[in-house]
Amino acid sequence: MNRREKENIIVSFWGVLLVLGASLLFAAVLIFLLSSEPLPAVKYFFTGPFLSRYFFGNMLDAAVPLIFTGLGISLAFKASLFNLGGEGQIYMGALVTTVVCLALPEFNGLAGGLTALAAGSLAAGLLAALSGYLKVKWNVDSMISSFLLSSAVVYGVNFFITGYFKDPSSSLLSTPFIDSRYFLPHLMNPSTLSTSIFFALGGAVIIYFLLYRTRWGYEMTMCGLNPEFARYGGVNVSSYVTMPFFLSGLMHGLGGGFAVLGTYHMSIKGFTSGMGWGGIAVALIAKNNPLGVIPAALFFAYLNAGSKAAMLHTDVTFEVAAVVEAFVFFFITSEVIFSFIRRKRRSLL
Amino acid sequence: MKLVHDAVTIMTPFLLAALGGLFTELAGTLNIALEGFMLIGAFFSIVFVSVTGSMLTGILLGVLITVIFAFIFGAVSLYLKTNIFITGLAANLMASGLTVVLSARFFGSKGVVTFSGLTPLKGLHSGYSFFVYTSWLLVVVSWFIIYHTAFGLRIRGTGIHPDAVSSLGLRPSQYKLAAILISGAACGLAGAMLTLNVSAFVPGITAGRGWIALVVIYLGDRTPWGILAASFIFGLSISFSNYAQGVLNLPADIILSFPYILTVAAMTVYQIYRIKRKGGGLQHR
Amino acid sequence: MAYLTMENITRFYRDNHVLANSNVDFELRRNEIHALVGENGAGKTTLMKILYGLEQPDEGRIFLNGSEVFIRSPLDANRYGIGMVHQHFRLIPDFTAAENIIFGMEPKRRLFFLNRREAEEMVRSISDQFGFDVDPSAVVKNMTVGEKQQVEIMRMLYRNDETLILDEPTSVLTGRQIESLFYTLKKLTRAGKSIILITHKLNEVLSIADRVSVMRQGKVKGTYRRGEVDKKELSQLIFGRDVQFFAGRGVSSGHKFAGKKIFELKNVSIRSGDIKPLLDSICLSVSPGEIVGVTGAAGNGLRELEDVVSGLRDLSGGQVFYHGEDITNFSVHKFREKGFAYVPADRMKRGSSLQASLKQNLIIINHDGFSRFGILNRRRINSFVSKKLRQFSIDGNPDLPLHLLSGGNIQKTVLARELSIETDFIIFSEPTWGLDSAAGEYVYKKIRTHRDKGKGVLLFSSNLDEILGLADTVFVLFHGRIAGRLDNDGSLTKELVGTYMLGLEIDE
Repeated sequence: MNRREKENIIVSFWGVLLVLGASLLFAAVLIFLLSSEPLPAVKYFFTGPFLSRYFFGNMLDAAVPLIFTGLGISLAFKASLFNLGGEGQIYMGALVTTVVCLALPEFNGLAGGLTALAAGSLAAGLLAALSGYLKVKWNVDSMISSFLLSSAVVYGVNFFITGYFKDPSSSLLSTPFIDSRYFLPHLMNPSTLSTSIFFALGGAVIIYFLLYRTRWGYEMTMCGLNPEFARYGGVNVSSYVTMPFFLSGLMHGLGGGFAVLGTYHMSIKGFTSGMGWGGIAVALIAKNNPLGVIPAALFFAYLNAGSKAAMLHTDVTFEVAAVVEAFVFFFITSEVIFSFIRRKRRSLL
Repeated sequence: MKLVHDAVTIMTPFLLAALGGLFTELAGTLNIALEGFMLIGAFFSIVFVSVTGSMLTGILLGVLITVIFAFIFGAVSLYLKTNIFITGLAANLMASGLTVVLSARFFGSKGVVTFSGLTPLKGLHSGYSFFVYTSWLLVVVSWFIIYHTAFGLRIRGTGIHPDAVSSLGLRPSQYKLAAILISGAACGLAGAMLTLNVSAFVPGITAGRGWIALVVIYLGDRTPWGILAASFIFGLSISFSNYAQGVLNLPADIILSFPYILTVAAMTVYQIYRIKRKGGGLQHR
Repeated sequence: MAYLTMENITRFYRDNHVLANSNVDFELRRNEIHALVGENGAGKTTLMKILYGLEQPDEGRIFLNGSEVFIRSPLDANRYGIGMVHQHFRLIPDFTAAENIIFGMEPKRRLFFLNRREAEEMVRSISDQFGFDVDPSAVVKNMTVGEKQQVEIMRMLYRNDETLILDEPTSVLTGRQIESLFYTLKKLTRAGKSIILITHKLNEVLSIADRVSVMRQGKVKGTYRRGEVDKKELSQLIFGRDVQFFAGRGVSSGHKFAGKKIFELKNVSIRSGDIKPLLDSICLSVSPGEIVGVTGAAGNGLRELEDVVSGLRDLSGGQVFYHGEDITNFSVHKFREKGFAYVPADRMKRGSSLQASLKQNLIIINHDGFSRFGILNRRRINSFVSKKLRQFSIDGNPDLPLHLLSGGNIQKTVLARELSIETDFIIFSEPTWGLDSAAGEYVYKKIRTHRDKGKGVLLFSSNLDEILGLADTVFVLFHGRIAGRLDNDGSLTKELVGTYMLGLEIDE
């Protein structure tokens, strides 16, 4: 590794750290302004996730869907494609997984669970692939179309959860519980953390392998970096639009499916809400590196867990997390911040 | 006739937001923050109306807050050189988070907050509201600014050929920022209409209207009159589906998904039409 | 007497190590038309970009009316009354002529409202005064190239610019349009304007310029009054007398190649829009063991022909054959499957991906062994890459983004990749752009080796030394057509090729 490469890594590391640090500061200020008992609120916000097995396990569990969605976004990003339909895709994946589990009671756990996951991720993948298809076929902006399709799907899924598949015996707006044979084993009782986290970690490794160790990932990356060069090199550029979208949707679907099998054991109205947007933030912080997605997802899970802890003990609302998340979004892509750090470093050296 | 009357009321927030978005669109910025701007306007307008007790003052203050919010968005994206799309997304998330957080802090509720005792602006049930007439006026004003002022000329020039603009000694980013502020003001007004019409703030009350406003801009072929027509068609289709809901008993969720599906369909058809017209050529100059 | 002076201007491009301007002195007098001539890459455009504030010199000063001025941006240039018409017009296509002309300095009524009528009046008065023929209310995108150019010039007049720079103004114009442009320029100097005309067409220079400055290799080789030099002398000044640049040129004569053809173009044409065809009925063929050189001045179709033969651009007419098989309008994907190797002129954007790593840049053409069942064989790739780095002495870390490498190393990366392809047909375009002379010599050796192995080489170059030193057969493009097909049999000179290039002679 030579000096320049080191410098690039250091600059992006400090840049990300600066934005994340500023966001935590922003969180503290926000809580001070909003809470009538600011000191305990800030304390719980920052330390809450580490105070008990329950909070800690829940934090790790909350990172699982974010890893999946973050991977999905990174994958599409590598091809310079923007999948904005994560919210709908993960929700759809969750519902289809639930419905298949409910429909196949006679299967044993493993095979049934796998079938359900496959169906859920396939449905989400096809939903995403539609945006890619519209782009290739008629040059319809895939960013906007993926958002719009997903928004429509969110309402559609709401309809099924609260209507067609609603559990009439429950007061929740939800489907019935799936059979306990499909549950993934829990790891840290009483928290919701389950073996799904291993699938998420495995997923990150697989996506890493796909992107960096296969011809397919290589060609896709080339299309994303410089389509003219890829075309000149003989790569069929248009084939790297629909497929990345499909895989991106697939990952979102898996995120939804694992949330059902590992954590919720049913589909509840709006239960995946925010996981799609979270995935975009995670991918941006990770600079689209599949392995970087893991710590980035943990950071967001920490924000969420912190605000949950603060909410339980004080008068702070959970949505503080969303505001802090938005704050990260605001600044994370700034070229100026990163080049500022580069200049500062140079002047110090 | 009831159908048309409803359509006119329904279309107004779309029309206002799209007119604002038209300026950013012409200045060459895909402004996806319209949704967030509207939400900020919706929340602060009704809060200020209830605090000041005056409709006009309240709305103006609400619009002012929205413009400030838009300024932050514009300044960050243009001068800190962020990806304007991500920052727009951030503005939307920030708006939806912030309104809920503030509503929880000041009204003790994360859900619907009703404001009783507001005097509605001139007859909501007889004729149209203040917002409707204002929106019509703004169509004319926008048309005039865009086509008959030097400012409008420069905004359009910035969107079409920023290099030409800067080589003539003007700064494109100034005009982009100005357009963003205008879109903030228009969306603030659009948001105000949403809350003041129902005398309540509901989290996420904008329900994707900012996104649809973007599509209305395209369907309206990026002209004020076109946008007027496109938002009327949109208003009519929603008012019709509301009516259909009553008759056919369609579930609310399915109705709510219509605007999005319709929008994708409209975009696709528009693209097909464009490709056909250009003879398949996708090449830019 | 001197109205504007540029003193000791030096500009070095760090990216590709090119000294574009080296201690250049330039002087413009009031009311003169001053032509700036030279080959591509002689530094004309760089000098004018510095004057217009688009680039900053590393050294040197600029004086206007005797006092020093600092021109850091076009904004400053505008302030000092300097205007420029770029080779690619900077007009807003959706606006009318009047709107384009007044843009940025609009006449206003009551502060705010655009006064269209006054604008059109002003445009019309400029039009009448200087004999322009443009409808102020016509939309620019519907105009002919000549009209667009008039709009650009009128904009400078509207802004009261005193110094007008025109970059290759005639390259897109037809004969009649050129005449009327020159008529206008003459009129402008009488009205007190001073004009700098960048061009490489000698006929023009001689017919209109009061003075001419010749640039070669980043230096001004001399400034002459009209009548001081003739066409032949100018041409020698432009191209240099030292034609014999290459030692040991292995030249053969054309007839030897009759018969078998590897690659062939038949009546290839490209038309787009209202302007004259970019390529018109091009016929050429490449035989085994032959280097076919194609040359021409900028804007005469060289780049378009390069796009056609590499499969990146579809034809409007004609056919392309490879070993007799019709491959017209095949995608570049198919071209690569046929095993073509191609070193493009635009090596920074087309020939490489600057954000991708050096390694990623080397393996875009999938040889056997790079991947198996879709999985990259890293051992093979690494050994291939390190072999190429050694072979081409590329200095860089294979895992670093390419843009961190020096310009010369990026060039060598492109060559390393394309030369590693086993093929009987290879396209080189401007193969020595951005290379130092040692690296250039190496490339020439490679090209000759390909020929000597009986492969076909198609060489696009605007460098006549290169063409004469390498090609067996030379095609000269002028206005998108083949102006001449010349056998490089030893008697061919730069001057002769030059006369075809400049359109002084055309074979029918």
